[in-house]
Amino acid sequence: MQAVTAQALPSKAIVWLLVSFGMLLVPQWDRLPWWLIVACLALATWRWLAQTGRAALPGRLVGTLIMLSLIAVYVMTVQGRFSVETAASFFVLAVGLKWLETRTARDFYVLFFILCYLAAVNFLFQQGILWTLLSLAGIFILLVGLQILNAPDVPNVASSGWKRLGVLFLKTLPVVVLLFVFFPRMAPLWSVPLVSGEAKTGISDQMEPGSISNLAQSSERAFRVTFGGRIPAHRERYWRGLILDRFVDGRWEQWQVDVRQRAGRVQSDGGIGPLQNGEYDVLLEPTYQPWAFALEGSGVVSDNVEETATGVFRFQRPADTAVRYRMAMDGRKNDDAFLSPRERQRYLHLPAEGNPRSRTLAASLRDGTASDSAFIDSLLQRFRQQSYFYTLRPPQMPQDAVDTLMFDAKRGFCAHYASATAFLLRSAGIPARIVVGYQGGSPGANGEYLIVRQYDAHAWVEAWVDGSGWVRVDPTAAIAPDRVESGLRQAMAEEGSFLENEWASPQKYGDMALLQWLSLRLDQVNYEWQRWVVGYQGQTQMNLMSRLPGNLSLRDLGYISAGVLGGALVIAGLWAGWRNRAGRTKDPALKLMAEWQRLLHKRGVRTEPSDTPAALASRASEKEPGYARLHQAFARAMNNHYYGSGPLSHDDHRRLRSVLRQLRRAS
Amino acid sequence: MTGSIRQRWRLWVNRKIPRSDEQHFTRKNIFILPSGAGAVFGLLLLIMLMTGINYQNSLIYLLTFILGAIFVAAMHQTHRNLAGLTLTLVSASEGFPGERLNFRLRATSHDEAYAIRFTTPEKETVRINVPPGEVLDFDVPVLARKRGPVSAGDIKIDTRFPFGLLKAWSWMRPESTGVCYPRPVTPPYAAGGEEEGDRNSQPRKSDDLSHADLRPWRQGDLSQRVQWKRYARTGEMVIADWEGESGEPVWLDYDAFPGADRELRLSYLAALVEARCREGVVYGLRLPGLSVELDQGSAHRLRCLRALGLQGYAETPSTLSGSTSAGKGHTFYAEIP
Repeated sequence: MQAVTAQALPSKAIVWLLVSFGMLLVPQWDRLPWWLIVACLALATWRWLAQTGRAALPGRLVGTLIMLSLIAVYVMTVQGRFSVETAASFFVLAVGLKWLETRTARDFYVLFFILCYLAAVNFLFQQGILWTLLSLAGIFILLVGLQILNAPDVPNVASSGWKRLGVLFLKTLPVVVLLFVFFPRMAPLWSVPLVSGEAKTGISDQMEPGSISNLAQSSERAFRVTFGGRIPAHRERYWRGLILDRFVDGRWEQWQVDVRQRAGRVQSDGGIGPLQNGEYDVLLEPTYQPWAFALEGSGVVSDNVEETATGVFRFQRPADTAVRYRMAMDGRKNDDAFLSPRERQRYLHLPAEGNPRSRTLAASLRDGTASDSAFIDSLLQRFRQQSYFYTLRPPQMPQDAVDTLMFDAKRGFCAHYASATAFLLRSAGIPARIVVGYQGGSPGANGEYLIVRQYDAHAWVEAWVDGSGWVRVDPTAAIAPDRVESGLRQAMAEEGSFLENEWASPQKYGDMALLQWLSLRLDQVNYEWQRWVVGYQGQTQMNLMSRLPGNLSLRDLGYISAGVLGGALVIAGLWAGWRNRAGRTKDPALKLMAEWQRLLHKRGVRTEPSDTPAALASRASEKEPGYARLHQAFARAMNNHYYGSGPLSHDDHRRLRSVLRQLRRAS
Repeated sequence: MTGSIRQRWRLWVNRKIPRSDEQHFTRKNIFILPSGAGAVFGLLLLIMLMTGINYQNSLIYLLTFILGAIFVAAMHQTHRNLAGLTLTLVSASEGFPGERLNFRLRATSHDEAYAIRFTTPEKETVRINVPPGEVLDFDVPVLARKRGPVSAGDIKIDTRFPFGLLKAWSWMRPESTGVCYPRPVTPPYAAGGEEEGDRNSQPRKSDDLSHADLRPWRQGDLSQRVQWKRYARTGEMVIADWEGESGEPVWLDYDAFPGADRELRLSYLAALVEARCREGVVYGLRLPGLSVELDQGSAHRLRCLRALGLQGYAETPSTLSGSTSAGKGHTFYAEIP
């Protein structure tokens, strides 16, 4: 396959391949099992030692043993879960094992192909602009390595390789951009597995007393929102995600667990055109869950979200990559103003045992109030007036958590209070459910959009009040109004527990203006990148095209793409042909020869194209005996260059030029 | 079937690339196709595009387009790497059967021409790099098989630079030839041959000139052969042409081996020439239609061997050797010192 197979691979090329491998691993660093990373590093190091002659590559037997054992470990850890993630780690394993087998140029190419695809897989996981640049840089390094492999003996091949690649890239960039814009974005051809089967940091479908306080320690982004009109006030930003309505063993979960749908086709229509007033656009980071977060009283605008019976929203396919969707605040209630007996029973259900003191408290409050809403008020009043604390460092409450919180500890986080509130409401015969989602969100650069982070995760309660349907009851707002008015940072300012374990997060240092500014800028660049480049999909494309004259269909776009490619090829071909013609007489000696011939021609010396320099010189000497010496010298130098001791040096060149000048002056 | 197709293809190529000692590569005579790796790469791009479509992932589209565009641009780059290269056959060497004859080529390129590979019909490969505007001389070895002019055949020239995903190739078909001498075979009998132990039969330093032809000195005679003693006596420069009187003829004659066929005779003569040269004596060579005058030394040896090698072949002026050079359809005979 390659000329280089006969010899060992050049070390320089191996280095570039190793570096590229390292760079393309980085975007998946946190997803790959640790043993795989260690194995890859060990194998790559081994290959490098073999290259420098300090170790031998394993023989067939040892190599097979290593391969079998690593594959066995892989199979055991994957356990039949098939997702892109497991496939990607298999790729990485393949590259790692291939290191021991990289002996010929063919192996080098196999690695090149696997790494190219690995870069593509990286884009499924990470779509930020920095990650994109990192992966592209890895690919470029790979391409420089290929050049070194193909011409290892060219002096400073690496730097000229970079230059060559850069020129190639810049020349083709217009074509790439045109293709990116015009290449028809078809609908998915078939269903594909989820990118990952792992759970990510984020809201889960179960709520234990401590679950949300763990989330509150993470500054990871959950989603970003752009509003068509005014951004609602902080205290109104309740992003509903899912509803927990079953209380078991001090834990809240869903009665009807969403049947984890089979991963269908990827849906990407996130709404097009400018945002209307009241509409908002959410770009959700991958959660691997089907929940879409939306403000209370929102309706669906884009096609990739649907509303469920309980008034929350779901994607057709878990969000395995960043998903953009569009909603509208139309102020309507998200559910019927009617509760069926079955539903009522479900929302009142409590375990038979447990938390006796709270049950007693609910009964006594119930007796003192006339209506459901009065009960709710008096409960919130109790939270406000008694010394309940909102804290990220609540004590352990293993037994009867609601009782412990209400009467002994009186310190808890939103999950504790929401759980207790729902328990008390149900005890008092008021249908209640827990809503889990996010509350708040901080403005991004220039306040153009909102960034909602994991520490904005929140849990609150909805209670059914006859006549007004589901009513939001947020005990946290009663205990720590700061949390709802301006966010967790303010609420935790006194305690100092905000992001206490995340020392590297820029959000932790809210008082460092420059750092804040930088991190917001970076986020903005990333957001624009995600919206306009990553989010450029079928519907977006059609929308853009509809604004161009001609009302293009997908097929037209196909024709345009073909035209772009064809046109680029034709232009490149013409240009190459022109260059070729222009460069035909670039040979310096030939040029000198041609000049000399022209000069002789002018002097009336007969010149034929087939004349040798010697013949010309003798003819010229007859014609102008005075310059015979010069002509002869010229001819001798030419003869030497073409047929003799060696090519013209720089000095020869200068000398010949001066000879020509003298001859010219003679005329 | 494939054989005939291959043959027709070769014929067509030969029409496109005439035999010549100078070859300039242009769009007209360069062929380009994806290499094996290039074909796999194309398939990979297709798979990547599918992944991009199915996951609706813009960045995979972008990566695919970038790689695809670089692939297409590399086509031009690979083509250009060969286009603009000019090859000239400078000289072709001579040697005995079984030796490698070096065909010296001179490469110039106004553009860069890297990782250019030359493959002879015998699958010998040479790789060269020609930086832009430079001139490079290099040798392509061709195995000498049988006596006579040795053609380099069709030298295949290909390159996969820069990425190895495409292969541009062409041929060079040098017109001029090297020379393969006859295989030296020591004659079995002394007919015109040399006998062992007869080393001192040639009275080189004797004053006994009875068997010698004396003639006046001419330009070009070697100074060792001047009878200096005689010069000291008489003041004339005289050359003694020795007739070897003891079965060691000064003239090596083609006709001295009756019964042997031509090739064998030439082999005998080649062996004799080598022996005479080793002894450093004067000898001449008589072949049908050609004789090489009495002389000695290495240039003389080469003249004789070349004459033997080309005996029976029309000595074309385009026969290249270290001492003759071919230019644009022209032959120069440089002065033989």
